[in-house]
Amino acid sequence: MRENFRQELRDLKAEVLLIGRLVVDQTADGVKALVEGDLDLAERVIAADDDIDRRTLAVEEHSLEVIATQFPVARDLRLLHSLTYISMHLERMGDLALNTAKAARRTAGRRGPQTLYDLIQAQGNLVHRVLEATLEALEKNDLELARKLPELDEPIDHLFKQFFRELARLQAEDDIEWASQMVLAARYLERIADNAVDIGERLQYLLTGTFEPIEHQQEAKPSSDANSGAGGQ
Amino acid sequence: MSEKLAEHLAGAPSGSSQPDKFAVRKLEFYYGDFHALTDITVGIQRHAVTAFIGPSGCGKSTFLRTLNRMNDLIPGTRVEGSVMLDRQDVYAAGIDPVDLRRRVGMIFQQPNPFPMSIYENVAYGPKLHGVKKKADLDEVVEKSLQRANLWKEVKDILGRGGLTLSGGQQQRLCIARVLAVEPEVLLMDEPCSAIDPTSVQKVEDLMAELKDRITIVIVTHNMQQAARVSDYTAFFLQEKVNEAAELIEFDRTATLFTSPKDRRTEDYITGRFG
Repeated sequence: MRENFRQELRDLKAEVLLIGRLVVDQTADGVKALVEGDLDLAERVIAADDDIDRRTLAVEEHSLEVIATQFPVARDLRLLHSLTYISMHLERMGDLALNTAKAARRTAGRRGPQTLYDLIQAQGNLVHRVLEATLEALEKNDLELARKLPELDEPIDHLFKQFFRELARLQAEDDIEWASQMVLAARYLERIADNAVDIGERLQYLLTGTFEPIEHQQEAKPSSDANSGAGGQ
Repeated sequence: MSEKLAEHLAGAPSGSSQPDKFAVRKLEFYYGDFHALTDITVGIQRHAVTAFIGPSGCGKSTFLRTLNRMNDLIPGTRVEGSVMLDRQDVYAAGIDPVDLRRRVGMIFQQPNPFPMSIYENVAYGPKLHGVKKKADLDEVVEKSLQRANLWKEVKDILGRGGLTLSGGQQQRLCIARVLAVEPEVLLMDEPCSAIDPTSVQKVEDLMAELKDRITIVIVTHNMQQAARVSDYTAFFLQEKVNEAAELIEFDRTATLFTSPKDRRTEDYITGRFG
């Protein structure tokens, strides 16, 4: 009985890691579709989100069944609860990747200043790094790596502030609607990384059994002055 | 809002600020040459349910019996350290073990009603302690059976033999018998192991009701039961054969079953051994 139970826990964790990989791909593809103006890719990202939603629901249902039938306690209970929590965060991150692809759809056929494309690509790369680290920490139960996630998230917040500075430089002839979509996409990416940091906090609970004080990075605020964003420049 | 949710919102859930009912310090216990328990230091919270868990032979029942000196009845046993009940050492000279066992009552795994009527089973203790008037006895019998959640089932058959009841009813009759002498503490040694699930439910409900007035300590092999009924849990373990058992971990039940601090507790409660 107990061996079956352990196998179920391993299967659930593998499934959550798989959802995580899908989110990594969706995020990268969303960015690529936006930067390259690839409408086909954007549509594929939009269509693929249903799969993530379906898998997340299945993880939640299966976790509930295991809780109801196996009476897990201690680290087993923390794992089941955390896997549900993490998969729901991943689902939300998938939605944000979907929104990025929708921004690509809305801006299809229009181009703007290269600086903003470069910024989006740079932010996409930083978000990719956070996501990879998050999944690695989950896969390997790596507490140190989980604790490093806020540090990896920091440059993303700084970069996000830079979007507003770039926005301020736009000229009257620039396509403001296009630029707004870029800033929204930057916001989606920044939120994906924030969700990853939340997952890292949950990993700390999973691995230590204690809810440690949450060291949130200060929210990136559009109104921040130029000096506060020095780290991202 | 529930009390427990409010505690979580307020920060770390707090224990009672009242002094412990039992304060056990550096307890050692021997069966003849065999050193059964070592270095047990623990406080048993007043008006709470404390569960003792651990694999067979881990000394949890032995420790339970040190609390009301039931082990005295076994020849060759010896106790070191102190067991303070309301700041009074129960092993001190001048303590009457019979009076101690009235204050600290006990329920066993096998229901053991006396071979007499339901009424007489419950009235037995009060009579022994000097209650003579029929009206007084009637009152204590009814009240005790009500507190043991048995009154409704037996009120019309009080003259029937206690042994004619079902196992679960017999166990509640034994609880009523103990309650009739107004104990301060109820020690329960695997009280639900030999009774049907419906009766288990009734005994568990009973514990929740009784703890407002008395302190309960339960030994159980059933970890889900420990998690359900207790406020505090103590995990005992004998690590090697022929070595004395120890108290490995003691904590709030909710904490011990979600975030145990000791690896051995974790392994036991998650079914990795034992």
